[in-house]
Amino acid sequence: MNRALLIARRDLTDFARGGRLYWAGGLILVLVATSLVVGWQRQRESRAERTRAQALDYGDWIRQPERHPHDAAHQGMHVFKPEPALSIVDPGIVPFVGSTLWLGAHRQTEVKFRPAQDATGLQRFGSLSPAWAAQILGPLLVILLGFSAFSAEREHGTLRQMLSLGVSRSQLLWGKALALGGGLGLVLVPAGLLAGIAVIVAAEPSARGDAFSRLLGLAAGYGAYLGIFIFLSLGVSALASSSRLALVSLLAFWIVVALVAPRSVADVSRSLDPSPSREAFNAALDADLGAATQRASLERFGVRDAFGPGVPLSRWGLALKVHDHAGYGVMDRHFDALWESYARQQRMQEWTGFLLPTIGIRAFSMGVAGTDFAEHRAFSLAAERQRRVMQDIISQDLVDHADGRKEEHFSYRASRALWARVPPFQHQPAAAGAALARNLRSLGMLTLGLLLSATLAALAVSRRRLW
Amino acid sequence: MLEAVRVSKAFGEVRALDEVTLTVAPGELYCLLGANGAGKTTLVNLFLGFLAPTAGEVRIAGQDVARHPLESKRDVAYIPEQVVLYGVLTGVENLRFFAELATGERQTRARLLELLTEVGLDPRAADQRVATYSKGMRQKVGIAIAFAKQARALLLDEPTSGLDPHAANEFSQLLERARSSGVAILTTTHDLFHAKRSGTRVGIMKRGRLVAELATSELSHADLESLYLQHMSA
Repeated sequence: MNRALLIARRDLTDFARGGRLYWAGGLILVLVATSLVVGWQRQRESRAERTRAQALDYGDWIRQPERHPHDAAHQGMHVFKPEPALSIVDPGIVPFVGSTLWLGAHRQTEVKFRPAQDATGLQRFGSLSPAWAAQILGPLLVILLGFSAFSAEREHGTLRQMLSLGVSRSQLLWGKALALGGGLGLVLVPAGLLAGIAVIVAAEPSARGDAFSRLLGLAAGYGAYLGIFIFLSLGVSALASSSRLALVSLLAFWIVVALVAPRSVADVSRSLDPSPSREAFNAALDADLGAATQRASLERFGVRDAFGPGVPLSRWGLALKVHDHAGYGVMDRHFDALWESYARQQRMQEWTGFLLPTIGIRAFSMGVAGTDFAEHRAFSLAAERQRRVMQDIISQDLVDHADGRKEEHFSYRASRALWARVPPFQHQPAAAGAALARNLRSLGMLTLGLLLSATLAALAVSRRRLW
Repeated sequence: MLEAVRVSKAFGEVRALDEVTLTVAPGELYCLLGANGAGKTTLVNLFLGFLAPTAGEVRIAGQDVARHPLESKRDVAYIPEQVVLYGVLTGVENLRFFAELATGERQTRARLLELLTEVGLDPRAADQRVATYSKGMRQKVGIAIAFAKQARALLLDEPTSGLDPHAANEFSQLLERARSSGVAILTTTHDLFHAKRSGTRVGIMKRGRLVAELATSELSHADLESLYLQHMSA
């Protein structure tokens, strides 16, 4: 048998008989299983609730009585973000950005109903999900299994014994890496299979292929992520003068990378490339909207205020249309700038992924799961398009039917047929291939991290004083 | 089979070995005597490739250990003062692991038990975890590993230190069997009695130098003792 496999088999026997694998791995399995059950239940309820609410809300829109269309536009409608099947595995930023948008007249709106607004910091940290378990506890399990891989063998003298038999350093490294990977696999493969089954069952039949591709992508990402910790643990174990030092060093790294860095790197990226505050954003948007609408009004009607006495009621519908269209570009520019600043901060964080792999895998995982900021932005844009469709239909109807009534403009009542011309909201999240392509940077950073940690481990075991 | 040619090893300012030259031929049991710190273990470490010589060459079966660290180990087995095994594995599991690691070939249970019996390990102990083994039992497993490897050379670092007289005697008999079958054996020891009785040649090391080298057949135990003490006090 290949020597690396022999070493791996022996180490696995050691894990099994030593009990570390059962205790630590069992705990993680229980956590993952619990989070899957909770996630599945939450997703099921949330999907049912959203589908019901979406139907109810659109029904309310359709069933509006005959009324002035602009009143209907002010009633507006709600749109609900579809919950991706993989949110069971990684809910991503969904709990923090909300899932419902109100589409009303004149103004693009932000997402409403943010559960995180009511959550304490501790709850945010511990929002249990399989992704959280794999991102935070997975490395901890690797460290607990691997910190003594070389150091304990050196302390006991078995490393010297193996090397005296002509085992090469690379065979030792690969054997140890295989054992760690195998031990981890004993815990994470069943957990991953459970998660995969839950996702496939939760996905719409037509979306199962897409969900499966995403699961494969996640498996690759998490493989690279945990591989980094495997080689890092082996490298540190080979370099450290004692098992205790190896454990302390690795735990310190874990605390920094998994617990401290995600928050502090986000803070740093925000301070390097700040986004405007809500107040500043709204003030700037209002100012530019005001200027743009005044300009458009001046061009079209010769007065600054399209809704003042200078514009007769016979042109009120047209004034609305001009006003709305003047605002579209301004809103696009402001929201794009805001979202771009978030995206730049996100990219800045992603670049650190090779040194701070938890940041890399977090971005990759939620990106592939379809619960990231890019998906949220796509939903917001789709919602805004829907709002403009609704607004344009209504304004045009006013131009066609109400403006002709001159002073009797507001006596116009549109029939239900008009409400039905606004289509129900449809939003199709990006396909698996697009989601993967969008997150290649994070995957690249993780791969780079894996290469770096493997190089570190190879250098560490090639030291003559390894024994 | 085992050759050190004008080998020196320095650790900073400290010269642990100073131009040591020795050869151990097949069928020879060479006992290296010397006080603690004389350089005996350093020489064994050079043969195992755990250290690189500062000058000179160390060869096993003609292969330069520094240049061919893996190939040179094909023919050699190492038994330290404390044979270290995996406590969670049984005797037979340990032997299987190290034997397969050494040979790269699958070992049957029957063959492993035969080896353990050959080195005198109680068959009832073969399936017990090694954590319960005495030092003597572990040394026997160490010899069994060397036998499984069919090593043509053995490097032993104070292998009988701490063994009770009966176990030391059993161990010596195993070494004698290996020697008489043509294995070249280099062992470090403080035990003059063991060196005289088992060795075919002895070398005395002092402060990194090989100060004397003679055949055991040429001298009595008393001669060896007085020669050793004479060198140590000089």
